[in-house]
Amino acid sequence: MLRTPLLSLPLVLVALAGCTDSGPLGGASEQRRDPALSGDGRLLASISERQGRSTVILQDQSSGRLLALRHLRGHGPHRSPALSWNGRYLAVLIQQGMHPMPVIEDRLRGQLLRLPTPPGASVERLSLAPDGQTLALQLVQGGQQRVQVFDLSGLLEPDRAGGRRVSDPPP
Amino acid sequence: MSAGKATGRTWRLGTTLLATVMGSASLTGCMGAMPIPRTALNRQLEQAGGNRDPSLGQRWLALIQQRGGREQVQLLDLQRQLPVPLPGLNRPDALPISVSSDADGERLAVVRQLGGRSEVVLYRRSLQSLQPIAMAPDTIPTLVNLRADGRQLAVQVSRNGLWQIDLVDLP
Repeated sequence: MLRTPLLSLPLVLVALAGCTDSGPLGGASEQRRDPALSGDGRLLASISERQGRSTVILQDQSSGRLLALRHLRGHGPHRSPALSWNGRYLAVLIQQGMHPMPVIEDRLRGQLLRLPTPPGASVERLSLAPDGQTLALQLVQGGQQRVQVFDLSGLLEPDRAGGRRVSDPPP
Repeated sequence: MSAGKATGRTWRLGTTLLATVMGSASLTGCMGAMPIPRTALNRQLEQAGGNRDPSLGQRWLALIQQRGGREQVQLLDLQRQLPVPLPGLNRPDALPISVSSDADGERLAVVRQLGGRSEVVLYRRSLQSLQPIAMAPDTIPTLVNLRADGRQLAVQVSRNGLWQIDLVDLP
């Protein structure tokens, strides 16, 4: 069975026919949760819990290097990160006062897009489409969980995989 | 809940979100356009009852939906706004905990509780096949994120009382 090393991170091999395990991530003093992979497999976003703080981190999988997320500093705790195909967009829930707020960091342009929570509803999780053109929010309102979907095509440029077909082939 | 009430609430959520985004646009210095709520889809989701754990593919939305007093994994075609059949995935004695779709809606990774144990399974829609993903014996999987190309799985696990992330390469 093959193994994909992640530099100095500790490795545990899992018996799995036909599959390769590369984990776990995080050292003994750090907890990691809420993983989100970019579509090209280059980046992994996750929530690092250290000394009671939950902070989103973005890691280059091949080098293990942590990439800077300037706009998200000081807006913790973070949760539920999601990445677009090439990792241009990182969507995550930040804390705004008493409520979680979905935001999207455009790493190419260095901008932060804020999508505040509707009154009376609390956002629990989010999902970003691979091309960054659609966002799904898991809301809690009136004690019930529900999912709402939003079109972001007027806000964000697509972050598509290279060579990926975006329309049906001509007849 | 009546369709009228559901529509009203969906509209209120969407318009409030849009208004807040417009207000914050000047702060972030980007765009001029707005996210658009997928009103018909959101109405359909609301009428279906409680749903959670959204995972967006390119034109697919996987989620966990309450139906008939139990929860099951659903995959919606966002273009046709219709659920697609997932024969062999949902079973009455299993409780889905987390679901993640690849970009094409072909592969679904699911954490589910079955017989008092948590397990990870990979569903291939075109084959209608369900493959168990073996995890290390000392781990309890709680959340999955499938890479958009379906070739790698990030699993949030509890190991010795700590949250960690295991990566599994898929054939």
